[in-house]
Amino acid sequence: MAVALYELGIAITALAIAGSVVYRYGLSVIPAYIVIGIFVGPNFPTTVGDLSPVALGAVGDVSLRLVSDSDLVAGLAELGIVLLLFFLGLEFSVSQLLDDRRRIATIGVIDLVVNFGIGLALGFAFGFGPVETLFLAGIVYISSSAVITKSLIDEGWVANAESGPILGTLVFEDIFIAVYLAVLSAVALGGGSLADAATSVGIAFAFLGVLFGAAWYGSGVVERLFGTDSDELFLLRVLGVTTLVAGVALAMGVSEAVAAFFVGTAFSGTDHTERIEHVIAPSRDFFAAVFFFSIGLTTDVTLLADVALLLAAAVVLTTASKLLSGTVSGRVYDLDPRRSLRVGLGMVPRGEFSLILATLAATAGGSAGTLGEVVPAFAVGYVLIMSIVGTLLIQNASAIEGLRERAVGES
Amino acid sequence: MTVYETDVPGVGKKFELETGGDERLVVLIHHDGKREVYRRPDPDADSEKLFTVSGETARKLGSILEGAYFQPVETDEVQVPLGDAFIEWLDLEPSSELAGQTLGEADLRQETGVSVLAVQRDSDTYPNPDSSFELAAGDVLVTLGTSDEQDELETMLGEDDASSE
Repeated sequence: MAVALYELGIAITALAIAGSVVYRYGLSVIPAYIVIGIFVGPNFPTTVGDLSPVALGAVGDVSLRLVSDSDLVAGLAELGIVLLLFFLGLEFSVSQLLDDRRRIATIGVIDLVVNFGIGLALGFAFGFGPVETLFLAGIVYISSSAVITKSLIDEGWVANAESGPILGTLVFEDIFIAVYLAVLSAVALGGGSLADAATSVGIAFAFLGVLFGAAWYGSGVVERLFGTDSDELFLLRVLGVTTLVAGVALAMGVSEAVAAFFVGTAFSGTDHTERIEHVIAPSRDFFAAVFFFSIGLTTDVTLLADVALLLAAAVVLTTASKLLSGTVSGRVYDLDPRRSLRVGLGMVPRGEFSLILATLAATAGGSAGTLGEVVPAFAVGYVLIMSIVGTLLIQNASAIEGLRERAVGES
Repeated sequence: MTVYETDVPGVGKKFELETGGDERLVVLIHHDGKREVYRRPDPDADSEKLFTVSGETARKLGSILEGAYFQPVETDEVQVPLGDAFIEWLDLEPSSELAGQTLGEADLRQETGVSVLAVQRDSDTYPNPDSSFELAAGDVLVTLGTSDEQDELETMLGEDDASSE
């Protein structure tokens, strides 16, 4: 279906306005993009009248349904996912990981066991099936690199000792989520039987193995292929290769996000990283904004009522679990109690990766049933709450540290 | 002095400089070239942000700090280097026996090896004074000579041995 140009215009303008409003209050833009998507999307719970977008200026129509969930928006959103993961691979610092591998592995495992464990427990407690539970566990486990990194800089924590364990944990989580996405997408998209799943996992890993080999040994080729004076051509080449590889991966039943991650790692060892940051980051920001917006478009708020109890339980328990695992991680880095608590506070925000898992769940579940409807709806509500709660916790860390000191009875 | 370098994924690079004691300067270089500079008084304190500058300003600031625009000569007195010799401004103390002598009688060139380029008296300057020029207490002699020669003259001029370190 052809998308009306004015719909795209409304979508992007709405994003700009929503982003500007929260930016003024120092909050994360991600929840704002989702909420504005919900507001102007086809699922706004004023399900009165028709489901077609209103004609602009229709007198007396109070519906806010201005943008329909079109293929074009979905395509742009897909590029957002691909670029988010591409940058994750690009900024993936193997050397740093190896330098500090013992501590990063330690805190990464603590973080994984505690938070993934809580996710599994929640899934079983609420009667989810095994696949849904695996999705749920991933959604509540993975912290948001985007929100956390920005908060660290805004609060000046980046220059303090607590940034070590926070960033270390994020590095570990990012590797884990890349592998996890590969496994989950193979299982979820691979059909029902165990044999099918095993086959698709095999194909996925063979494909990713080839990609990984190319990334590892092909740095020199990448270096030459992308050497051009023109920023315009450079942008097109990088976007072209990344999108093509991701697309081929998806066609083979492999997670496009993971494929993009590996393309990113292929670039991380070259001299192009700096230039990519400059030339391609604006594209990523735009497409990622559309991705969060499209999550809002496809969200049916009425479904949130069905998952309210699970949402409440998850918010309370997974905030506590990140506080716990973060505090322990701070201790692993020999931080004092105050800074260890900050590590916990810093890890609370969830964001883009939980939503990417939700998108995968919606695709795998055919937008119906527990996997296709309930899990994505839960993920959206959960990310909305956790990105806001997490940012607020970080901003008010001093007050919370004071509470802790009074509770423990320190001077 | 140790410099610690860390990658900050998604942001850029972080450098920490030990500036003496437990204090550290923390410089965060963003991928977009922006620099943020923090100061951390001691390991237990929170870092306070000192300033943020753009990449271009940072390079300018860096070259100023490096001394590319103005390189002070780090000695305890102002000197103009001329090979081994340099120019000094020396006070003629009332206690010195040179007060009242003419330059010819003092024969400073012979005695110390220093040439007197000019004499400053109150707000007047007498350039190239000849041998009949009579020195007076309170004069400032503008002299050219090596470090040793200048020291010798300084003693003759009755400078209290105020060799400030």
